Amino acid sequence: MLKGTLGRYSSDELRDAFTFLLPLILFISIFILLPVMGTFLISTYREVTFLEKEFVFLENYLKLLSDGAFWQSLRFTLLFVLVSVPLEMVLGLAFALIINERIPFRGLLRTVLLIPWAVPLAVSARVWELIYNYNYGLANLLLLKMGITDEPVNWLGTELGAFIALVISDVWKTTPFVAIIFLAGLQAIPGEIYAQAQIDGANLFQRFFRITLPLLKPVAVVALLFRSVDALRVFDLVYVLTHGGPGGSTTSLSLYAYKHFLAGDFGYGSAVSVILFLIAFLLSILYVRASGFLSEVAR
Amino acid sequence: MRAFLLLFLLFLLVGCEKREERVVTFAVGGAPNEIEFWEKLVREFEERKGIKVKLLRQPTDTDQRRQGLVVALRSGMKDPDVFLMDVAWLPQFAASGWLEPLEGSGLKREVFFKRVVKLVDIYSGKLVALPVYVDGGVLYYRKDLLEKYGYSKLPETWEELLEYSLRVQRGERKKSPQFFGFVWQGAQYEGLVCTFLEFASSRGGGITFRKGRLVLNTGPNVEALTFMRDLIHRYRISPPNTYTEMKEEEVRMFFQEGNALFERNWPYAWALHQSKDSKVRGKVGIAPLPKFKGGRRASTLGGWHIGISRFSDTKRESLEFLKFVLSYEVQKRLALNLGWNPGRTDVYEDRDVLKRMPHFKVLREVFNYIVARPVSPYYTQVSEVLQKYLNSALSGRLSPEEALRRAEEEVGKVVERYSR
Repeated sequence: MLKGTLGRYSSDELRDAFTFLLPLILFISIFILLPVMGTFLISTYREVTFLEKEFVFLENYLKLLSDGAFWQSLRFTLLFVLVSVPLEMVLGLAFALIINERIPFRGLLRTVLLIPWAVPLAVSARVWELIYNYNYGLANLLLLKMGITDEPVNWLGTELGAFIALVISDVWKTTPFVAIIFLAGLQAIPGEIYAQAQIDGANLFQRFFRITLPLLKPVAVVALLFRSVDALRVFDLVYVLTHGGPGGSTTSLSLYAYKHFLAGDFGYGSAVSVILFLIAFLLSILYVRASGFLSEVAR
Repeated sequence: MRAFLLLFLLFLLVGCEKREERVVTFAVGGAPNEIEFWEKLVREFEERKGIKVKLLRQPTDTDQRRQGLVVALRSGMKDPDVFLMDVAWLPQFAASGWLEPLEGSGLKREVFFKRVVKLVDIYSGKLVALPVYVDGGVLYYRKDLLEKYGYSKLPETWEELLEYSLRVQRGERKKSPQFFGFVWQGAQYEGLVCTFLEFASSRGGGITFRKGRLVLNTGPNVEALTFMRDLIHRYRISPPNTYTEMKEEEVRMFFQEGNALFERNWPYAWALHQSKDSKVRGKVGIAPLPKFKGGRRASTLGGWHIGISRFSDTKRESLEFLKFVLSYEVQKRLALNLGWNPGRTDVYEDRDVLKRMPHFKVLREVFNYIVARPVSPYYTQVSEVLQKYLNSALSGRLSPEEALRRAEEEVGKVVERYSR
């Protein structure tokens, strides 16, 4: 397929194209490819600061297989992606639809909506920590004041509670991002299509499901891809809010890798990072394939 | 354009010119008032000795301080030259060969707490660090409340502490519904291992390695952990968020708000409890931690130690600075200004110190009951496992026996991995 496409161009054109691409290729090689390869290389060593360095090939990976904490952390990470990303997509689409309409204070609404996205994650995680706090948290204050409970709730105290708390914080933070991407997609849809559909007698739902959604697909794939990969790498939120607790149930893969780096075991930590990279990579390929994104762009 | 490029290159070259001046880089973190104090000390040292010292500010958080040092040392960087290390990760640094031996430097090690030096500062027969600051778990109590409920003496045992707490809590709840008898560190972090070690040791248990195997799932340890869990769920004298949020500062603030009768914390809390905005100012007492009936008191060793990087390019100057920090005069000022407990024993005899810091007498006693966490280069990995399972037991997810059994098993894997 690639050859067929390239065959249409003369060699001069190809050379020019390559020249223009060169900076990007260099950038990607130096700042992305090299570190990834370096991490993989380290992961094939027993690289512990207080032991002799030794080539062990895949031993670190074999250890991972029998490491219960690793599986727990993998399970948590995947579950986190599976729950938070769909929520963000749906809410993001809803917000995009609202602020795309001619409603009063639209400019203001758009700005306000973006605020959570503009706040650094570590900062917003701190804020959420203060909301969930048992003793002086906002959530408990409200519940007590409104008389819904007479005893404060220990939000982060159970596995499920901590998980939900993390999802809520993440959704709050990143829904605006998804909304903005969808908004861009919505504005690229020409108004005439809707006008035409209306003339043909399509109702609101038909217009949404037959026109809006299909035309948003390429944008949706981009949002989905960004959000999934980002959610897979979740670190700051967990680090600040739960520190991986209770009982290690919310230790994300990147936090798990970090803990090994901190303790001086760079080989094992790198192996965890490589696994994380592979999952993200496979997921990206899957999305792009499943959506037929490439062929659509090529058209 | 060409002129601009030339000028640019010139700037680059000037920027790269190597400075010949020898500067000691000292990495230290902490609260703003602590950093301020170090800055003053550094300036004084520069004036006196004519050696330049650059202060490398680190965060307050222990893990982040450690991370900064691990990254620099692993890549063999020349800076920082001198730094402070937590006792929990000093063995890793020593075993990694990152610390310059202090033998033959003319430092008198006898003036420091002997047990502490022996436990953590000597690695394979060589002195590699010295304590700037020693720490141990202590009990804070509300003098006014004990008096109000007619208790004339302090609880000697955990059982008595429970008894006092139940009664006082019942009484105080009438006015303040969020009052609890006893607050301590139970969140999933290093502090939990420290509290567990104290409960366990005072029951006759502990965290020890025997022939390379961790001995954890023992009767006394199970009893101690069960007691800790019961404090939260059964007797309910410790708040439900003990195992999720209670770290040093959360515990301190809870107590300082006047919401608890007893508090387990480190000595740093003393000065803060006595500060102007504290609700418990003048109502707080400090004592060694209780023990279980028939056991002996225990207090987990903490604190910060100073050492020199093996990769330092200014070892001679760095040693001068280290000696300065460890001198009687500076250690005394650390005690008076920051309320730090010096690593030197002679400062505890100092008349000014005793006059302004009467609780140092109690601390000196506390340091007799010191128990140490396992000293091992891979202690962090061991601790990760312990934190996870101890926390599981406190949350009620696992029974104490099950938690300790699984922890022992998982630590076995860690040992196997790192000790060949």
